[in-house]
Amino acid sequence: MPEIFIDGKRYEFEGKPKLLQFILDNGKEVPFFCYHPEMSAPANCRQCYVKVGTPVQNRETGEYELDENGERVIRWFPKMQTSCSMEMTDGMVVHTQETSEEVARAQKDTMELILINHPLDCPICDQAGECPLQIQTYKYGPEGSRFEVKKVHKPKRVELGPRVTLDAERCINCTRCVRFTEEISGTHQLTISSRGDKNYPITAPGMEFDDPYSLNTVDICPVGALTSTDFRFKARVWEMNQTPSIDITGGKGTNVDLWTRDNLVLRLTPRYNENVNTHWMPDEARMAYRKFNENRISRPSIKADGNNQIKTSWNNAIETFAEKLEAVKPADVLVLGSAHASVEENYSLMKLFSTWGVSDFHFSPDVKEGFGDDFLLTDDQAPNTNGVKALGFSETSAEDLKAAIKSAKVVVLLNDELVDRGVLDSEDLKKPFVISLATNETETSKSTDLVIPITCIAEHAASYVNVEGRIQRSLPAKETKYTHRKLDLEMSEGRLDRYGTNFDNWVNEDNKVDCTPIWELMNNLGKRLGLSVQFGTSREIMDEIASSNSSFEGVSYEKMDDENGIQLTGMNKEEVSA
Amino acid sequence: MANNYEFTPEDLKEIETIKAKFPEVMPATLPTLWVAQRRFGHVEPEVQHLVAETLDLPVSHVHGVATFYTQYYKEKMGKYVLDVCTTTSCQLCGGYDMLHYLEEKLGIKAGETTKDGMFSIQSVECLGACGYAPMMQITNDVYVNNLTEEKLDEVIESLKADKMPEFESVGMPQHTERS
Ligand code: SF4
Ligand code: SF4
Ligand code: FES
Ligand code: FES
Repeated sequence: MPEIFIDGKRYEFEGKPKLLQFILDNGKEVPFFCYHPEMSAPANCRQCYVKVGTPVQNRETGEYELDENGERVIRWFPKMQTSCSMEMTDGMVVHTQETSEEVARAQKDTMELILINHPLDCPICDQAGECPLQIQTYKYGPEGSRFEVKKVHKPKRVELGPRVTLDAERCINCTRCVRFTEEISGTHQLTISSRGDKNYPITAPGMEFDDPYSLNTVDICPVGALTSTDFRFKARVWEMNQTPSIDITGGKGTNVDLWTRDNLVLRLTPRYNENVNTHWMPDEARMAYRKFNENRISRPSIKADGNNQIKTSWNNAIETFAEKLEAVKPADVLVLGSAHASVEENYSLMKLFSTWGVSDFHFSPDVKEGFGDDFLLTDDQAPNTNGVKALGFSETSAEDLKAAIKSAKVVVLLNDELVDRGVLDSEDLKKPFVISLATNETETSKSTDLVIPITCIAEHAASYVNVEGRIQRSLPAKETKYTHRKLDLEMSEGRLDRYGTNFDNWVNEDNKVDCTPIWELMNNLGKRLGLSVQFGTSREIMDEIASSNSSFEGVSYEKMDDENGIQLTGMNKEEVSA
Repeated sequence: MANNYEFTPEDLKEIETIKAKFPEVMPATLPTLWVAQRRFGHVEPEVQHLVAETLDLPVSHVHGVATFYTQYYKEKMGKYVLDVCTTTSCQLCGGYDMLHYLEEKLGIKAGETTKDGMFSIQSVECLGACGYAPMMQITNDVYVNNLTEEKLDEVIESLKADKMPEFESVGMPQHTERS
C-alpha cells in the first residue's frame, strides 16, 4: 500500500487523497480558509502551506536512491505547497508547521498578508467566537502587524439578497461563497468583482442573491463577511447552547443544530450527516426557529362563550377531555394523528385511544406537488409522513376527512395546521367537540373547543422518519415550565445557563412554555379514564415501538445516536413518492 | 433585465467565430466583451447582461470578468479616454503635471467625462512605457509618449478633429544607431 510520511510519522493511504484532507482525517491540523471538502480546491488563500518532498528513484531499477546513512534521498519541492490541492503520491515526505520552522513562518507571513486590510473588528463582529480567521490567527498568526498605513475601505452592510448581508471589508476572498453558488446550489448568483485589494463577492448588477440555499454561504464563510440578515447582532456565539436536532419543515430530515439562549431558539444551522444533507440546509428550514418561540400555546385553553377561548387549569383540561370521551362511544371519536408530529407522539396517542376502544386512526398528508428539488427540498412538507404510516395511521384525503368529522361527536387533533394549510375550513370543525393537542396558536387551534399545549421538537427527544425511510431523533434544547437542564442529562448547558441564576436580568421565565410532552398528557388522561396505559420517557416509548412494530425493529436511541440515524428496512424512496 | 442594447448580425457572426475557437464557451467571454465594447463604447451592466445572454453564461461570471480588467469600461465613457500614467517613473517626470494640465484644459477631473461626451480622463497605473515617461494611452490604444503641455494641446486638437495621433515607435538606447 502507498505510504506517506507526515511530520516523521508513517501513514498508509489508498487512492489519490489530497494532502490537507488526509491530514485533517488523521486528527492533525494545518490552518486553511478556502478549502471545503465538498467543493473544488482553487488554492487561493495560500494558508495551508506545507513543505513537501518526494523520494528520488532510480529510473532504471525503480529503487529509491539512498544517502550514505542508508536514508532515502528526498527531492524537496522548491517552494511551499498548498496542501489542499496537493495530491498524495507514494513515498511523499511532508512537514507541517509542527516540525518545520520554515512552514510555521510561511503560514505566519501569509496570515499577516491576509490581515493587512482586515478590519479586525472582532468585538462587534458576528463571526467572533466561531471565526476560523480569529482562531487561526490566534494559533498560527503574527502577534502584531507591521502595516501602519490606512486600510483599504470597501462597502459595508451590502444586502446581497433578502437573507444575506455582506461586509466586504472582512472578506478574505476565499471564494467559498462563489463556489457554493456554482458547484452546490447551481444558481451562479455570486462572483468576485474587481481585483487586487479591491475585490469582494457580489451579485451581477440588478440581480439578487435569493438562492433558496443562500444562507449556507454564511456558514461556510470563514470570516464575518457574510452574515445572516435575520440573525446578525442577535447573540454572541458563546452565549448560546448548541443542541442536535432535525429539520421539521420538510420531508428530507435535514440534520440541524438548534442554538438557544435563555430558552429561546435563536438560529438553526445545518449539522453534518453524510447520508442526508451533508453540510447544507435550505434557507426556509432556518426560519422554523420562530415557531419554537413565537405564538406558543402556554397552558390549556377552552372555548367559553361564543368563540372566545379562555385559559384553564391542567386539571380542568384533562377532566373536560375525559368527560367528553365518556359521554360518547369510541366509534364516535375521530382520532387524527399528524405527519408533523414525531413517531413517539403519534404512537402514544394511538396506544391510549386503541386501549380505550378506538380502532380507526387517520392522518392527512401534507404534500405540495412540485415544491421539491433534487437537493434538500421535498414535495412532502411534513417531517414524519413515513413514521405515521408505519404506525398504522391511514392516509386520508380532505373529502374523506370532512365526512369523518361530520359524523364524529368528538375529534382529537394532533398538532397539524389543517385549517391553515387549507385541508379543512374552520366551519368543518364547528359541529363536533374538537380537542387539539398543539404547539402553536394557529387558525386551526383557534377553531377548536379545547386546546392542550404540547412540547415542540425543540423541547423533547423524539424521532421522525424522513422521505427515504431514515429514522432520526431530536434532543431537548429548550426548557418547559416542567423541565430543567440541570436535571435532564440530555440537555446541553451553555455558559449562561451554568453560571447564571434565575435572578439575572437576562433571564426571562416567560420563555419557558407551560406544556408537556404528549405521552405525559396521555398518562394523565389514561389514569383519569382508568386505563392501564403508562408511558415512560420517549426513549422507553421507542423501545416499546421497536419491540412491537416490525417496521421499527432494531431501532433505539443509542443506535440512532451512534449511527446518525437508522435506515428502516422495507422503506425506500419508491415507496415514499406515493 | 430589459435590455436596450442589441448586437448586430455581424457582431453575432463574429461572436460565433470566437466561440468556435474554444472547446468551451467560458473563454469566449473576454473577446466577446471586446466586441461589445467596440460596438457600444462600454460594457455597462446592461451590456454585461447582453453578453451573458448571447453566450448563455451566468451574468455573474461576465460581471466578474468585466470588473477584473480595467480596460473594460463599466460605465459610459467619452469617445476618447485619456489614461494618464501616474506611477513612479511618470510621476517623477511630471505625470501629475500632465494630468492636472489636462484636467484644467478640459474642465473635468480624473474619472470624469466632458459634457460633450468627447473626453474622459483617468489616472492609471504603469503602462509599461516608463522609458518614455510621462506618457498616456488613448482609449486602450495608441500610446503618446514624452508628454509636454504643447504635445497635449496638439493631441487634443487632433482628437477634436477625430484624428488619432500616430503610433510613435521609440527605439531603445541600444538600438539607436550611433553616428
Ligand atoms: S472576521 Fe473574524 S477576525 Fe475578522 S473581525 Fe470578525 S471575528 Fe474578527
Ligand atoms: S465573503 Fe466569505 S466566503 Fe465569500 S469570498 Fe469572502 S471570505 Fe470567502
Ligand atoms: S486552503 Fe489551501 S490554499 Fe486555501
Ligand atoms: S510609470 Fe508610467 S509607464 Fe511605467
